Amino acid sequence: MPTIEASKKDLEELIGKKFSKEELEEIVLCAKGELDAIEDDALKIDIKDTNRPDLWSTEGIAREIKAFIGKEKGIPEYKVLKGKRKAFIDEKLEGIRPKAAYAEVRNVKITEEVLLQIIQLQEKICQSFGKKREQIAIGVFDSDKVKGNVKYFAAEPSMEFVPLGFSESMSLREILIKHQKGKEYGKLIEKFEKFPLLTDEKNEVLSMPPIINSESSGKITTKTKNLFVDVTGFNQELIDIALKIMCMALADRGGKIYSVELNYKNKKIVSPEFKEEKIIFPLKEVNELLGTEFKIKEIPKLLEKKRMRGKIKGKNLEVKFGDYRKDIIHVWDVIEDIAIAADYNKLEPEEMNVFTLGSLEEKSKETNEVRELCIGFGLQEIASNHLTSKEIQGEKMNLKEEFVQIANPVSLNWEIFRKKLLPESLSFLSKNKHCSYPQKIFEVGRTVEFNPEKETGVEEKWKACVCIAHAKTNFNEVKSILEAIGKELNMKFKLKEETISFLEQGKSALIQFENGKKGFLGEVNQKVLENFGLETKVSVIEIEI
Amino acid sequence: MVQKIHSPRLDTVAMVEKTIKKSKENLSKTELWKKLPKKMMYQTFATVLEHLIEAKKIRLNEEGKVEWIQITGQEKEIKVEKMEEIKKEAEMGEIKLDEQTEKIVSELSEIERNALKAIAIEKKELSVQELSENAGIDLDSARRSIQWLNEKGLGKARIQKSVFVSLGEEGANALKKGLPEKNFLKELGIEWKKISEIKTIQKQEINIALGNAKKKGLVELKKEKELLIKRTGKGKEFLEKKTEEELMLEKLSEKEIEESSLSEKEKSVLKFLGFRKRFLKHKEKGNEFIQVTQKGLEAVSVLGKTGERKYNIMDPVEAVFPGKKQPYFKFQDEVKQRLVNLGFKEMENPLITQEFYNFDVLFQPQNHPARTWTDTYRLKKPEYGKLPDKKIVSAVKSAHENGGKAKSKGWRYKWNTRIASQLMPSAHGTAHSARQFVKGVEVPGKYFTTARCFRPDVVDTTHLIEFNQLEGFVVGEDFTFRKLLGLLKGFAIEIAGAKKVKFLPDYYPFTEPSVQLNALHPKLGWVEFGGAGIFRAEITENLGIKGKALAWGLGIDRLAMFKLGLNDVRELFSQNLNWLRKVV
Repeated sequence: MPTIEASKKDLEELIGKKFSKEELEEIVLCAKGELDAIEDDALKIDIKDTNRPDLWSTEGIAREIKAFIGKEKGIPEYKVLKGKRKAFIDEKLEGIRPKAAYAEVRNVKITEEVLLQIIQLQEKICQSFGKKREQIAIGVFDSDKVKGNVKYFAAEPSMEFVPLGFSESMSLREILIKHQKGKEYGKLIEKFEKFPLLTDEKNEVLSMPPIINSESSGKITTKTKNLFVDVTGFNQELIDIALKIMCMALADRGGKIYSVELNYKNKKIVSPEFKEEKIIFPLKEVNELLGTEFKIKEIPKLLEKKRMRGKIKGKNLEVKFGDYRKDIIHVWDVIEDIAIAADYNKLEPEEMNVFTLGSLEEKSKETNEVRELCIGFGLQEIASNHLTSKEIQGEKMNLKEEFVQIANPVSLNWEIFRKKLLPESLSFLSKNKHCSYPQKIFEVGRTVEFNPEKETGVEEKWKACVCIAHAKTNFNEVKSILEAIGKELNMKFKLKEETISFLEQGKSALIQFENGKKGFLGEVNQKVLENFGLETKVSVIEIEI
Repeated sequence: MVQKIHSPRLDTVAMVEKTIKKSKENLSKTELWKKLPKKMMYQTFATVLEHLIEAKKIRLNEEGKVEWIQITGQEKEIKVEKMEEIKKEAEMGEIKLDEQTEKIVSELSEIERNALKAIAIEKKELSVQELSENAGIDLDSARRSIQWLNEKGLGKARIQKSVFVSLGEEGANALKKGLPEKNFLKELGIEWKKISEIKTIQKQEINIALGNAKKKGLVELKKEKELLIKRTGKGKEFLEKKTEEELMLEKLSEKEIEESSLSEKEKSVLKFLGFRKRFLKHKEKGNEFIQVTQKGLEAVSVLGKTGERKYNIMDPVEAVFPGKKQPYFKFQDEVKQRLVNLGFKEMENPLITQEFYNFDVLFQPQNHPARTWTDTYRLKKPEYGKLPDKKIVSAVKSAHENGGKAKSKGWRYKWNTRIASQLMPSAHGTAHSARQFVKGVEVPGKYFTTARCFRPDVVDTTHLIEFNQLEGFVVGEDFTFRKLLGLLKGFAIEIAGAKKVKFLPDYYPFTEPSVQLNALHPKLGWVEFGGAGIFRAEITENLGIKGKALAWGLGIDRLAMFKLGLNDVRELFSQNLNWLRKVV
């Protein structure tokens, strides 16, 4: 969910209306926005829709609000004037970064705020919508410094230019190694023999997409008036949207959009081109989905508030919208906008009278039974995390085992799934040495271990673990509990003497239930107690449920 | 060892007592605490005050200030010869106790009685250890009896401070690896060796070591180009014998030693060891002693006659803790039960899932930013799982590629089964609704689950490494968005006890329309309570689900925090036993 920073004054100027804080909170909802913070003039607005990059700037939010409050109606219109520039796109970029789209926007009055918004919009689109520049990378240039036609081609890594923020020229390869942006995004191109490069007629470098602009033309200031926009990627449709959204925002600031002719090997495209799309569906679907009783006349008005145009055609509704709305792929996408325009809170909630029989999962019932029993024994229930460390589950327990492991852990403390509950309980006890003894605790929860026969390659086992800690606890104390559990749950078991690496020999046993479930009980051995920093004796049971 | 909570030492109690007595006016607790000549933890101080109140030495007056109560009959120590006399008298039953003492005696606990008898039989002072042995009570009880009997005037307590010595870090090290001077000698041989080649001693210490060894005649030195050194016969002897220092270190390693119990010679060895850095650790301990008073002897005489102990019903007793549910789980149990009562079926909720259920069934395109590396976890091992029935997989595939049976454009890209079969810890509860869709649903039907979810967030007061979502869906042929709003309103009232609700436009990749539910909480005002929406037609229609499925999810972690009065989400899984025992 992108968070957009905006100036309240700027937003109000774009809309042409002032708002109180409360009004603002209310009005940004129409753009699925949530006012996250307001501090003097500085606003932070969360735009929840990750599929609407057109809303990720002050201009975009203002555009949506203007229609919603009736300052404008229907589809926003953008005129594209015929420009003189051509762009030649090298076919050798295939596989590297083959697609590009360009436009020129002239006479933009660039203030500090506008500059911030251009950068923000560009960043948000590239990061979120463009999957961290992989799918979309945007460059904005001072058009007056770009001479004539541009050439986008696969260049030798030894070619040189001065990257933004530097004063000396570097080879393309060096930029990937030395420049901050090169380090950050280099992985997108470093494996290729040639790198994408954009130059003008004088062979001056504009940028090395998707990494960095040049110092000479890639620097925009409040003195810049005319802008040249470059978008590159793999999917023409996707980069066209990004280009259009950039142009729309700049045009909302008073800029005039000029086309650039894209020359691919076999085709020419005039870029950008604003088109309308349409979707036709039975009118009754609106009220059927929402449960409302909108009259036929009302619906086109609601659509106008959401930057669309509706036309009744017999029993059908034809809805047109700007082709930057790529999120509309189904009728319901339009109907949601109708509901938003009508205000969710004016739709009366309708009581749901459906009778069904409820029930808990079988496993919930079984585990609840065991929990109730443990409470009957006077044990305090605890809860530990499913994610834990090799140190707790392995090293401290004297165990050398493999665990189901996370590929991208944030910390070694949460790197694996627990295989036993006991280590977590011992870790719990070690944090509570200052509390009065006896300490009697239990946990019922899931553990995870490998099992290639399961559909997820792992088996999630429900287990119960009981720990009793005080100076005189012993094997017999927990055996009494185990027998009581066995009797109450009608589960017969046998005990088997075996060496268990974390339990005291001669004071521990394996448990084999008749139904195949397993477990262990006994006194935790001195070594493991020391590993957990425990100074009191601890007897334990852990069984599968 | 068993640890007790804040059992203040006798001298601490005495210090507080003295401060109260000395003060000209009555002070509040905090004032008094600040006035203490030595600082102490407030917790301990509070325990001392409780103690003194119990012992009827002080009381809190109406203003909450500490007031000293004068007790008469505090006894002085008595002479040994007099004790015999009194004891005899006592045996003959000629002693009449005053009312106050009689009450004290009748209320003595079993432990105190035993302790009192033990000190009455012995004429001399008893230490804690002796009292414990003679009275047959444990050390802790003995320590407490000394305090109590002292406060009740039946015994006279005394504290003697003594210093205990144990091995320090370096001392233990030297014991294991040898004393530096010995290691140094060991390194030398009968051959001449260059000083610069000596490894066991650091450069800056070499002169001292050389000097000492030379003085004792353990080494010989010779100057050629460079200073040379070798071991003498005496040096060899020295190596073979244990030095006094080594013997002392060994002794200390067995147990800590009270300094005053050592002979003069041993003391000087100890002093020498003390010069070395971190060889020794010194700890001061107070030893408590008690001797019977006259009143105590009188009391013993009537012990047999007072019959069974009468309890002072106001006395504090030992705390016991019942077995209880973990408070958050208890809350979850209640919510689950309420949902079952409302006709909801619980769904299975595996911890680990295929991306297929977490994303693909839910119509999240494989190039969706939320599927990237940093937003969800992935498994290192195992990496891939199995996908269900081919029919279902191809239905999901066509939903993504061209909308499938739904009148949708789809996402228009080539869907990949390999990506879909990657394994991950479930990142949201809706993954389990997706699984239920594939398993099959009853129409009409209501489903829910409490899902454990995993995302690589940084843990703080509002984020957990693992969190819970209460999730589910309701499916029916004639369901509408307004019915979804009705369902949500019902939840807010039934489960959160909210009075009013508000609906906000929202976004989820798998629902359309989507809505956020805000509820007016009686204490916290408007809070975000959950999210919901109608499952996209691309999902339900392609999986052959009749009617519309209304998805809902409630932030159960947050709800529980309100309920339990917590500000930090981490406390839901508190590892604090005291809190778990206390919280209701």
